[in-house]
Amino acid sequence: MEPEYLLARAKDENILEKGECGGAVSSIFQYLLDCDLVDGVLNLSHGEDIYDGIPSLIEDSKDLIETCGSLHCAPTMFGELISKYLQDMRLAVAVKPCDAMAIKELENRHQIDGDKLYKVGLNCGGTVLPITARKMIKLFYQIDPADVVKEEIDKGKFIIELTDDSHKELKIDDLEDEGYGRRVNCQRCEQKIPRNADIACGNWGTEPGWTFIEIITSKGKELVEKARENGYIEVKAPSGKAVAIRGKVESVMIKMAQKFQNKYLEENYPSLEKWDEYWNRCIKCYACRDACPLCYCRECDLEKEYYEDSGDTPPDPLTFQGVRLSHVCYSCINCGQCEDVCPMEIPVARIFHKMQKKYRDQTGFTAGISDELPPLYSPEKE
Amino acid sequence: MMKVTHTICPSCSVGCGINLITKNQEVVGTYPYKRHPVNEGKNCLRGRECFEFLGEETRIRTPLIKKGNLVDSDWEEVLNMAARKINSLKGEDIGILASGNCTNEECKNLKKFADALNVENIGYYNHNFPKFDFKTGTLEDLENSQFILVIGDVLKDNPLMGRRIILARENGAIIIATDYPEKTTTGINANKYIQITSIREFLDKLDSEIQSKLDERSTIVVGKLDHKKELNKLYQIVSKSNSKLIPVMGDCNSRGAMNILPALDTDDLKALIESVKLLYVVGDDPVSYTEESFKNLDFLITQATTINNTTLLSDIVLPGAFWAEKGGSFTNNTDNTQKFPQIVPAAGEALDDVTIIQKIAEKLNITF
Ligand SMILES: Cc1cc2nc3c(=O)[nH]c(=O)nc-3n(C[C@H](O)[C@H](O)[C@H](O)COP(=O)(O)OP(=O)(O)OC[C@H]3O[C@@H](n4cnc5c(N)ncnc54)[C@H](O)[C@@H]3O)c2cc1C
Ligand code: SF4
Ligand code: SF4
Ligand code: SF4
Ligand code: SF4
Repeated sequence: MEPEYLLARAKDENILEKGECGGAVSSIFQYLLDCDLVDGVLNLSHGEDIYDGIPSLIEDSKDLIETCGSLHCAPTMFGELISKYLQDMRLAVAVKPCDAMAIKELENRHQIDGDKLYKVGLNCGGTVLPITARKMIKLFYQIDPADVVKEEIDKGKFIIELTDDSHKELKIDDLEDEGYGRRVNCQRCEQKIPRNADIACGNWGTEPGWTFIEIITSKGKELVEKARENGYIEVKAPSGKAVAIRGKVESVMIKMAQKFQNKYLEENYPSLEKWDEYWNRCIKCYACRDACPLCYCRECDLEKEYYEDSGDTPPDPLTFQGVRLSHVCYSCINCGQCEDVCPMEIPVARIFHKMQKKYRDQTGFTAGISDELPPLYSPEKE
Repeated sequence: MMKVTHTICPSCSVGCGINLITKNQEVVGTYPYKRHPVNEGKNCLRGRECFEFLGEETRIRTPLIKKGNLVDSDWEEVLNMAARKINSLKGEDIGILASGNCTNEECKNLKKFADALNVENIGYYNHNFPKFDFKTGTLEDLENSQFILVIGDVLKDNPLMGRRIILARENGAIIIATDYPEKTTTGINANKYIQITSIREFLDKLDSEIQSKLDERSTIVVGKLDHKKELNKLYQIVSKSNSKLIPVMGDCNSRGAMNILPALDTDDLKALIESVKLLYVVGDDPVSYTEESFKNLDFLITQATTINNTTLLSDIVLPGAFWAEKGGSFTNNTDNTQKFPQIVPAAGEALDDVTIIQKIAEKLNITF
């Protein structure tokens, strides 16, 4: 399909007000639920505060108001929630590019039925771990993180809005140089616009109060048209200039990501001795495997091996991490989940991302984007 | 239908946050809770498996009573029986044994219950950790330390406490670990590992290198003791050097229970059991570690979630609830009291433990 661009906003006043941009995403969900095209919507509700995004399944469109807005400090992953617990439902889901990539890989492996799914994509400049965000706001902004009512990343700055409506911003580069800011895998992430979803929604190239939508699939096209026809959103065309600006921002972001790939996967890639030190402290807890949206074998090879050597730590890195590497590295989507959950602070995603990048350079297979399966992958999964 | 809910991990005393995934009122999995300040979404295997107990085959779903063997009963029958037995005895003949897994609310209720009956034989088994009330170090203290002494294999046993030690090491801290085995996970990740044969000896003749390194930017993490006196010794060491001390105990509410009930070691525990005629056990399985002491007991009441060695010896068994079935609060190692909600209904006829205690009290006509 030729890319198609438009600006959209909610007709419902509450959603328009509460939505991140124009509330188009929430309105489209509202349309899908009201017209019984889906049984549920999977997105994020706000827990304790703006740092606490909790995956939630919305079944009544009245509850969508609680899930409006973007949470940039909520690095969640929806892939496995769908394949493991929501297989039986017709679903609409708000997806960051990494969520969409995970879903795509799981569709390729017949773990998710794509026909039952509406993928409403969100552009993504990156996510910050909640506790890192809180520490950073205290340390560099000298603000009590509890006083922040909204945060966003725009034009290279991490901007916070306070209870008294004032704003404070710092350059994300400076924060990241100090080890704060976005997760390191997000810094390396090139998928800024989820072109593997049905539509991709964002604020790049938009005007205040509107959501910019790039239509990607024919399913997405019909979705937006029907949501408009049924009175849930209004749409207008963006100016050519706006589209150009959006394209420019995207390419700048991709260049930056490539620079970070170079930094983390080549220049500062841990030495062999450092990897030895990392694997030494691996407690073989399998958190990395369990969090990886691509590791889904019911009978995991790692488990078999685990019983054999009765959990002696540390495991031999070649047998433990090696098995997982051989199964999933070609498909690694660099979502960073493995690394986020590692109790021993081992930068697991780096090794997987590095391998997939090498593989991609050789074969052109991009995990989460390409339609076919990687030529080499665990036979257990077929 | 599917829901993700915050709770606190019940599998050890670190107090990590964890999300439970429920589907149709049943816990089906866990999900990282990244907003939680203790563990930031990271959980060890034991933590992530915490929900599996809920559906265990050995789960007790109805009250049980001994008629030759243990057989299914109903609440009315077991409560009446419990009340009758308790009523027939003086306070000094009754013992109450809670556990480090009981919530703070349960401990408080048991304490009041005991006071109303003039029962002084009450407590919970806390391995060799005695009651203490000094201020302990925080997780931030640990992470920001320049020198850390670790007694026991904390990295392996309490990984999310271990993580702070790893983070400190990445920031340049020196780590010295000590324990009995030839090799431990903590040991191989420390700058130095000292294999010992006695904690007391180790503390009495504290290595001069360690002594010289202990200062206000140091922390001692103690995950095991041979005797309760050793904690005091450790306290003296940290007081003298202005360093911090973090005792890492066994159960999710070991520290909270300590503020309410006497902390017992093995000898205290035996003495308690051997001096009473009726014992009411809530949430523990003492038969599995001190079977001998049960020989002279006349009547054993156990409140438990799953079949264990103690329920098998009991005269009546009261089906209690798992943490996710009742809500309450736990106080972790670093003295942080954290509330958690009820997420699913209790299995079968099982009841929330505070309710059970109150039902017995009602039968006895005592109020608190
Ligand atoms: C982490 C993040 C980074 C983003 N970065 C950019 C960017 O760099 N450039 C750009 O053009 N646009 C970005 N966006 C998209 C933008 O912020 C809006 O989400 C989008 O324009 C839709 O606006 P809306 O008013 O229609 O959405 P709304 O109607 O407010 O709906 C937003 C939906 O997204 C869900 N959601 C919120 N946070 C998350 C999350 N972390 N993960 C999954 N779902 C979530 C909400 O629950 C809700 O359903 C980002 C969004 C997120 C979540
Ligand atoms: S990995 Fe990419 S898509 Fe996922 S949160 Fe990070 S930047 Fe966004
Ligand atoms: S290996 Fe890690 S980064 Fe790669 S897909 Fe799995 S969880 Fe994501
Ligand atoms: S999560 Fe970390 S510690 Fe656990 S098995 Fe994976 S690499 Fe090892
Ligand atoms: S360290 Fe303890 S509290 Fe944390 S997840 Fe593991 S068992 Fe649970």
